[in-house]
Amino acid sequence: MTEALIVRGLDKTFAKPAVMDLDLTVHAGELYALLGPNGAGKTTTLRMVAGLTKPDKGEISIFGVDAKADPAGAKAITAWAPDEAMIYDKLTPLEYLEFVAGLWNVEPKAAKARAEALLSKLGLESEARRRCEGFSRGMKQKVALAGALIHDPKLLILDEPLTGLDAAAARLVKDMLQERVDAGGTVILTTHILEVAERMADRIGIIAGGRLLAEGTLDALRAQVGGMGAGGGKDGSTLEDVFLQLTATPAPVSGEAVA
Amino acid sequence: MNLAAPGSILWLLAHEMRLYWRSFRGGRAGKGARGLIGLTIVGAMMIAGGVLIALGLHGHDIPINPLSVSIAALASAVIFTLMLSQTLSASSEALYDRGDLDLLFSSPIGPAKVLLVRALGVATGVATIFLMVATPLLLPTVLYGHPGWIGLFGVLAALALAATAAGLVLAMALFALIGPRRTRTVAQVMAALVGAGFFLVSQARSILGQQASSSVYADIMQRSQEGRLNPPPFADLPLRAMLGQPLPLLALLGGAAALFILSARALGRRFSDAAAAAQGATTSAPAKAGKGPARAFSGGVFLATLRKELLLIGRDAALLSQVLLRVLYLIPTALVLSRNASHGTGAALAGGAGVVVFLAGQVAGSLAWITVSAEEAPDLLSVSPARIATLRRAKLAAAWLPVALLLALPIAVLAWFAPLAAIWTTLGAALAAWSSGLINVWRQRPGKRSEFKRRGGASWVATLAEMLVSALLAGATGVAVAGFAVWGLIPLALAGLVLLSLRRSDAQIAKALRLR
Repeated sequence: MTEALIVRGLDKTFAKPAVMDLDLTVHAGELYALLGPNGAGKTTTLRMVAGLTKPDKGEISIFGVDAKADPAGAKAITAWAPDEAMIYDKLTPLEYLEFVAGLWNVEPKAAKARAEALLSKLGLESEARRRCEGFSRGMKQKVALAGALIHDPKLLILDEPLTGLDAAAARLVKDMLQERVDAGGTVILTTHILEVAERMADRIGIIAGGRLLAEGTLDALRAQVGGMGAGGGKDGSTLEDVFLQLTATPAPVSGEAVA
Repeated sequence: MNLAAPGSILWLLAHEMRLYWRSFRGGRAGKGARGLIGLTIVGAMMIAGGVLIALGLHGHDIPINPLSVSIAALASAVIFTLMLSQTLSASSEALYDRGDLDLLFSSPIGPAKVLLVRALGVATGVATIFLMVATPLLLPTVLYGHPGWIGLFGVLAALALAATAAGLVLAMALFALIGPRRTRTVAQVMAALVGAGFFLVSQARSILGQQASSSVYADIMQRSQEGRLNPPPFADLPLRAMLGQPLPLLALLGGAAALFILSARALGRRFSDAAAAAQGATTSAPAKAGKGPARAFSGGVFLATLRKELLLIGRDAALLSQVLLRVLYLIPTALVLSRNASHGTGAALAGGAGVVVFLAGQVAGSLAWITVSAEEAPDLLSVSPARIATLRRAKLAAAWLPVALLLALPIAVLAWFAPLAAIWTTLGAALAAWSSGLINVWRQRPGKRSEFKRRGGASWVATLAEMLVSALLAGATGVAVAGFAVWGLIPLALAGLVLLSLRRSDAQIAKALRLR
């Protein structure tokens, strides 16, 4: 199986340790949900993968490209969409997509066609030539998502992609992500909406205190919690039950995470 | 009755001042010691200057005659327009800058009171800036032989109140006339025009070709010598108030305060309506549906970034107004330079060339600071595979291009009449623009555009260095245009030394930005 992302021994300390000896593997063509309580180290981990934060230690490989040795190569096949949309208020969606396509050196003709298709798909066709400054948060998120997809990345990383979206927009984004995975793309996302992870994710990683507590399918996570006793891990238990059970217990010593 | 009871004007004003102070302090977090040293040095230099002025003026009284009355009135008018430039800008921003406006308007406190406090905050801010400059320079004179001159500070306060009232009225009038979508832009442009108003007026005659080098001051002096100076009635009020005469001072303060209170009270209700309307307004152009397919995308990192930066520069009125102020000085100076070249006035030509070079460096520096430091989506650039050098080149090109376009015509005219002067001026302006751009790369301080409405967010080292290098290159150009090119090598070498001392490698820049 091709691995989309391999993270080994990742460490990052700011004022206090944010990520500690983290190992993570995401298979190509899967939707991977990275879950954890606030301050668990999810965003720091993903920022390191996206090349925004330099790790203190550890290795990151994206589709076989060593992110440390060839950062531009790794970035060329990756897209990062944080919870706060990285857009310019004074640009229109079309102008924004033109700029992003330029950054990733997408051929102009193809970029324009792709931009129009993405805006149409996201329901922003009529807003394509209006400046983003008057847009709602949800609309800005959609523009940012279009920006993340304009260069057709092999690995799409989204930090809280559904924050601030109304029900219709959230459904649209979820459908787009699912379509992308169905078409062979790889998506990593963080979310606090556990139902989304439960329904959409092929595999789930749970992180707390900068360490990976558990990783695997929902069934695998249930099994792990079952092994912990205390009434958890029943077949019918939800991801929320599993998540709360896992994050309520002290973090295991490094290396105990299950795959 | 407790004047500072919750909900009172004093209580609200104290709240405003606390927020203002904390934002002022917050912008300097971690720079406390260095900032204090810098302020102490500048303050000490100003006090030294103030002491020299006090010694020079000791025993001398200012007579009240047509000449002194005219000069005092003119100075007051200049200060008023400079203050109006700031209060107009601040008043229009007060409508759009949400801050805690929604909270205040949703409270039982009346809108007139909110506006009054906001206006007081604007007036206090403007007065503080002028008092900070005037106090160290003038206080020694007040303490050493001229106690009555304390009235100068009262005049400044009166001017600040009047300028705030005028700024409010102008901003609200604009809002009523052209609506929320355009008011912000027009107010910022007007603020820049008002700020440069006196300079433009004084240069108008030169530009129009009546007199090669005349100034309002020279005109006043000439009229005074010929006994033709007749100031209008009440023109002596500012001078008498400055000299500490109680009645004129009270009249000025009372008049300004009345104007201020009247405008704040009269506009209170409209202000809350306008602020609500401003919230719903966008400055975006309406969708151009049905106008055919969009133009082709520009390809590549450089072109895409250059286009994006030029679009953003052109669309940000608040940022543009800062730059516009310098441009407003640049254009007439460049035109006067061209005109002097056609008249063959050598000394004026050299001086004008120097001024053009200096201003080219300043305009390029302002734009480079916007394009390099005020990046709204730095993470987007960081996650892209684009080379930082390419991004930087595009951002600097976006800063240099407008300067080149602004100077193209005057330099072409100059080249027609004085080709050598044109070559030196072009070289000097290009060097100054290039240097200012590099300084802004080496000493960049990232932040949001919204934080850069005033250039307080910029590195003060960069700002001072830009001015110094531009001044040195202006000197070199002026000397070269005057025919002493060899002597121009001295300021040129000094500018080079300053640049070398500021140079930072990519690794050092990254370290300074704490990206590592």
